[in-house]
Amino acid sequence: MARMKFLCDADRCIECNACVTACKNEHEVPWGINRRRVITLNDGKPGERSVSMACMHCTDAPCAAVCPVNCFYTTADAVVLHSKDLCIGCGYCFYACPFGAPQYPRVGNFGSRGKMDKCTYCSGGPEVDLSVAEYEKYGSNRLAEGKLPLCAEMCSTKSLLAGDGEMIAQIYKERVIKRGYGSGAWGWKTAYRETIAI
Amino acid sequence: MRQNKDDDTRIGRRQFFRTLGGGTAAAAAAVAAVPLTPTEAKAYDPGTAETRSRYRETDHVKAFYRTNGYETLKK
Repeated sequence: MARMKFLCDADRCIECNACVTACKNEHEVPWGINRRRVITLNDGKPGERSVSMACMHCTDAPCAAVCPVNCFYTTADAVVLHSKDLCIGCGYCFYACPFGAPQYPRVGNFGSRGKMDKCTYCSGGPEVDLSVAEYEKYGSNRLAEGKLPLCAEMCSTKSLLAGDGEMIAQIYKERVIKRGYGSGAWGWKTAYRETIAI
Repeated sequence: MRQNKDDDTRIGRRQFFRTLGGGTAAAAAAVAAVPLTPTEAKAYDPGTAETRSRYRETDHVKAFYRTNGYETLKK
């Protein structure tokens, strides 16, 4: 079974924010919510890196672990989704998520910030596929249409990869070998030190 | 003025609180005696229809893989 994953090739990301715009437009995401963001480190300095971040659809998702109403579930494609009918907007998932993926439509305290919204990997929600109710709550369901998330498909520099984890890992691995100077991925040297070239 | 204390059938203030205290203690004892049967929390079960796989390797998806790995993937 294919496992859906995102992979941002930080060597290629130019911080154009096309992925952010594409996501907002495709799902008609309301004001104040960004399901995807581009984070830039060392902005304007040598070694500047940008990385496009959204929900990483964790295998053992911490958001699901802390949710008091258990509104999260993982699909057979390994996509982490949630039910907005059950969500109480407590914000626990926001605190648990290491990527800051969960977003809320309003600023406020417990219960007043509205239903949580996050990246659905363009695969809708618990409602019937491609229904109006699904679109209004979760946005479009591109996966059911036989497509991949629009953010990755829109990426002008082909930095953001999405799809079957095995497939995109292979694409990335081959890129790294072809570059010939190591991964270039942000955090690589921190994780593996200088000794590992690739 | 009260004639005989024994004839008075009304409940006095002290008697009232004494009765109330006894009742509360009995109620607490009754609650404690009922065995607690915790109901197990159930996780949201979205069902097989909602969690089924939607990913298909369509021509559209294949084109994405091909164009992203154009430099590297073997043709």
